[in-house]
Amino acid sequence: MSGMWAIYRKELRSYFVSPLAYAFLCAFLFLAGVFFYLGIALTGEASLRVMLGNLSISLIFVLPMLTMGHFSEEQRGGTLELLMTVPLSLPSLVLGKWLASWTLCGVMLTGTLLFPWILSWYGDPDWGIVLTSYLGLALSCGAFCAAGLFASSLTEDAVAAGLAGILMLLPFWLMGSAVRLVGETWGPRLEKLALLPHLRDFNRGIVDTGDLAWFAGFTFVFLFLTFRSLESRRWR
Amino acid sequence: MIEARKLTKRYGDLTAIDQVSFSVDKGEVLGFIGPNGAGKTTTMRILTGFLPATEGVAIVAGHDVFASPREVKRAVGYLPETPPLYRELTVGQYLRFVAQLREVPAKETLTRIGSVMERVGLTGWESRILGSLSKGYRQRVGIAQALVHDPQVLILDEPTSGLDPAQNLGIRRLIGELASDRTVVLSTHILREVEAVASRVVVIDRSRIVADGTLEEVCAHGGDPTWRVQFGSSASDTAEQAVAVGDLAAVARVHPRADGVLEVRAPADPRVEISKMAAAKGWEIASLEAHLPGLEAAFLSLVGEEAA
Repeated sequence: MSGMWAIYRKELRSYFVSPLAYAFLCAFLFLAGVFFYLGIALTGEASLRVMLGNLSISLIFVLPMLTMGHFSEEQRGGTLELLMTVPLSLPSLVLGKWLASWTLCGVMLTGTLLFPWILSWYGDPDWGIVLTSYLGLALSCGAFCAAGLFASSLTEDAVAAGLAGILMLLPFWLMGSAVRLVGETWGPRLEKLALLPHLRDFNRGIVDTGDLAWFAGFTFVFLFLTFRSLESRRWR
Repeated sequence: MIEARKLTKRYGDLTAIDQVSFSVDKGEVLGFIGPNGAGKTTTMRILTGFLPATEGVAIVAGHDVFASPREVKRAVGYLPETPPLYRELTVGQYLRFVAQLREVPAKETLTRIGSVMERVGLTGWESRILGSLSKGYRQRVGIAQALVHDPQVLILDEPTSGLDPAQNLGIRRLIGELASDRTVVLSTHILREVEAVASRVVVIDRSRIVADGTLEEVCAHGGDPTWRVQFGSSASDTAEQAVAVGDLAAVARVHPRADGVLEVRAPADPRVEISKMAAAKGWEIASLEAHLPGLEAAFLSLVGEEAA
């Protein structure tokens, strides 16, 4: 356990001493600002529906970039050899890195609280919906970070890992649109796998255990795959 | 302290090491030498638990590396071929991070880090960023991280690569000090380093161990010792001296050098015979010394010149 927190603290420190974290914070807040403005200017309603919906899609592209270096850089720089020869269990290593990137996401999301605050000056947003929407976003972040970490464990090339992460996440987004195309038998099954149907309830103010389980399952599966991929690396 | 029994590692069709067996006792410094690509790094990676062996058993500090890797990892300090550093951290941050990973108790962390930094000559460098350090200093940080938990077993893969001669000497001294109460395995292709610090030598070539023994035993592979004789001015010319020495029973071969020194090859010590002969002829002996074959000669005869 202490090993996991050592990894967690080190990863957060590495994020914030490099320009990477700041660049992502800026880019993410800028995107959020654009979505916020467009959402209100186009619909005329005092809601964050458009902004939060678009942000969750943009996370598919942003988060793999944030996690791409985690294992690929360790492999390239030889530091994986250090991590694998100290008394640190692989699950602690994976969890420490995942928690650190999820924490950074938390900081990014906290920054966007600026927009509901602005909104409250001009209108009367439904705070319950804002809260559940943010919960949905936070869960998406956790899930996408897990997928990004898995992509990062597959290759020494950080950029390839980033692209692989995006390619892994895209189908879960596109599946939602494909539901209508595949007919009666496969439609409902695809809908169960797709991302957006599970976010929809959160954006309506509903917290459904099925949706929670989907995010928990998604995160767990990718963290487990990361663990297995690191473990198998030793045998190659 | 370390025992390798028939370790074999295959990557597909490629055999990196083949039936490698050796053992190292507590307090010994084992020099692990061989040409590049012979299997040194693979062997060390297996001993540290980084790579599993395809076949064979490795026991380090009383634990089987494959059955209980965590106990082994607690007992071992390891410096990989490239020091495993995070460029963005400072020396102090990095060593604290490694100390936590190596389970140094929180209360002792600062004193341990202070003492290893002093030992490797890093005092005052705590707040330097690792990415800005020269190669020699990176190597020192690499050695410091391997020592931070005061391990019983130290495995160092080319610890002096990239260091200047003065730093080299410092590290050699450090290894000598460390060996007094722990076990050190040291891989290198700088043979003088092994001669200076190692009590045991294992030579590996093309995936197999070709020599294993004390430094003297391994050096004996370099062939018979030679003796260099020079007679005083009272003696006649060199050719006549060479014939006289060559006639002695103990001497196998004599090679007169241009500067008047005779190089004498002999399976047994010929010095008594040479001095008796010189006394009988009334020659003075200006010098008579033994030249034992060094590790270099042994290494070259073991692995072949083309491999080295």
